[in-house]
Amino acid sequence: METNSLSQPSLGTQLRALYVIALKDWKVFWRYPLNAVSSVFQPIIWITPIYFMGKAFSTNGQALGFAAYSGSGDYMSFILLGTVLTNFVTTVFWGMGYALKNDMDAGVLESNWLTPVSRLLILVGRTLTSLLTTTITSLVMLVIAALLFGFKPTGNTLAAFLTAIPMLIGLYGFGFAFAGLVLLMREANTLVDVSSFLVQGLSGSTFPVQSLPTWLIPVALALPLTYGLDAVRGWLLQTNTILPIRVEIVILVVFMFVMLWFGAWIFDRVDRRVRTLGTLGQH
Amino acid sequence: MDTTFSQRSLGKPGFLSDLRAFWAVVHREWTIFMRYPSWIIALFIWPLIFPMMYILTARALSGPDGSGLAVFMQATGARDFIGYIIIGTTVWMWQNIVLWDVGFALRNEQMRGTLESNWLSPTWRFSYLLGHTGPQLVSMLLFITITALEFGFMFGVRLHGSPWMIGLMMLAAIPSIYGLGFAFASLVITVKEANAFVFLIRGLVMIFCGITFPVSLLPGWMQSIAQWMPQTYLIHGMRAAAFSNARIPELLPDLIPLLAFGMFWLVVGYFTFLWMERRARQTGAIGQY
Repeated sequence: METNSLSQPSLGTQLRALYVIALKDWKVFWRYPLNAVSSVFQPIIWITPIYFMGKAFSTNGQALGFAAYSGSGDYMSFILLGTVLTNFVTTVFWGMGYALKNDMDAGVLESNWLTPVSRLLILVGRTLTSLLTTTITSLVMLVIAALLFGFKPTGNTLAAFLTAIPMLIGLYGFGFAFAGLVLLMREANTLVDVSSFLVQGLSGSTFPVQSLPTWLIPVALALPLTYGLDAVRGWLLQTNTILPIRVEIVILVVFMFVMLWFGAWIFDRVDRRVRTLGTLGQH
Repeated sequence: MDTTFSQRSLGKPGFLSDLRAFWAVVHREWTIFMRYPSWIIALFIWPLIFPMMYILTARALSGPDGSGLAVFMQATGARDFIGYIIIGTTVWMWQNIVLWDVGFALRNEQMRGTLESNWLSPTWRFSYLLGHTGPQLVSMLLFITITALEFGFMFGVRLHGSPWMIGLMMLAAIPSIYGLGFAFASLVITVKEANAFVFLIRGLVMIFCGITFPVSLLPGWMQSIAQWMPQTYLIHGMRAAAFSNARIPELLPDLIPLLAFGMFWLVVGYFTFLWMERRARQTGAIGQY
């Protein structure tokens, strides 16, 4: 007797699964429209203290100390660009690790896991809506922040955009590994917050890494995100970069391939372990 | 045979039963707290990493030769920019944690589906909120102590004032910080998804209360708003107590409004809770989520 799979996975079914996951998240996101408003204003709220703090460090409106490190005294454009990029970084961290925790709490993780869809694909699907909403809210945020604080990009926008792509894809690898950690630890908030904050902080989202204490600079240079932020700023704001921009792009592309492979490998191992232990549904 | 029954409550509420209910909530919260040991990491790491973004940005704004720092010292009157920022960010984190912990206490019960059954027990319902406050205060005390130790040992931040005066300022701030938490918890039960409200309230503290800069740098209309927020007085008073050796007479301009706001928020918190309780039972919304 010929055994047949209950499902017949194909590219079409996988894409349909991605679409359904993204559609569900889209509906949930707009069910609470205040969250969208919050996504726009939240980053502005976080950088407002920096705006006023910058004034306390400036003479006649010029942040000369900052300019000595970054090559640009326009610290608000520097910070705004970092904020937009880190919005996307956070989306990948939160989008996967936090979505898994939500599924655990809601008791649907096991049933989702039983569907004939690749688990990595489920994870990717959980970030699609977030990426779209992050793009929309970041653009609105940038417009409002430009009116409030000023935003003056003077460089090559297309080159900056293309440079950001390998950085974001590489972050998916980080996200896979991180989602594995959430499966093991069964607690997401602290893990997501702490790691996201550390990575963003040390990669220079709001300051040039050259200004870090000497002992922290090697940590910052070990984070591929540092080169991503640095290169995008280099293209758009023509700030001083740590390495020549082309070298930074090569680092980002290598990082993309290595992290995708490594993250998927970690997630696969953890997934097998929690299924062996039978702890998948526990929280 | 006499078949009449006297009407009796199923429970016999009294001070002791309320106290027992309060203790049961404290015990339960402590058990949940210990179930997820990652809070240990949070307790040690958060005091360092949250202010880090502001401290490192301040370092960059100072410049390699420290020229920006001299301008900052002159504008703020601070001796130590790290200590100056730490006080502001710690107050912000205190209010933020209370909003998430106490503010979402009832909402979490609602999400778990246990709020209705708890509500049916013959106990003083406000004890559910008060019970959350006990472990929260202990963990906050631990948090602030660890913050002080970490920045003292690792970054060389030194006090130039009395720790008792800092403690006094914090004690005076408890009613307003937790009163706001109580009011918020009640509101959350009504509006359900309230993350955006936490972001709004903590955002107001972040923008108006001068967590990393002197309030005098704000435009006039923003300073007027700052005057209506207790955290402004707490931050100002704590900085004065910690770094300018201010004593009670110098702290009174901060202590008096802080206590007045505390009274106000406690009353608002308690009556909002009573209003929410009645409304939730009338509309049948208590078990909805």
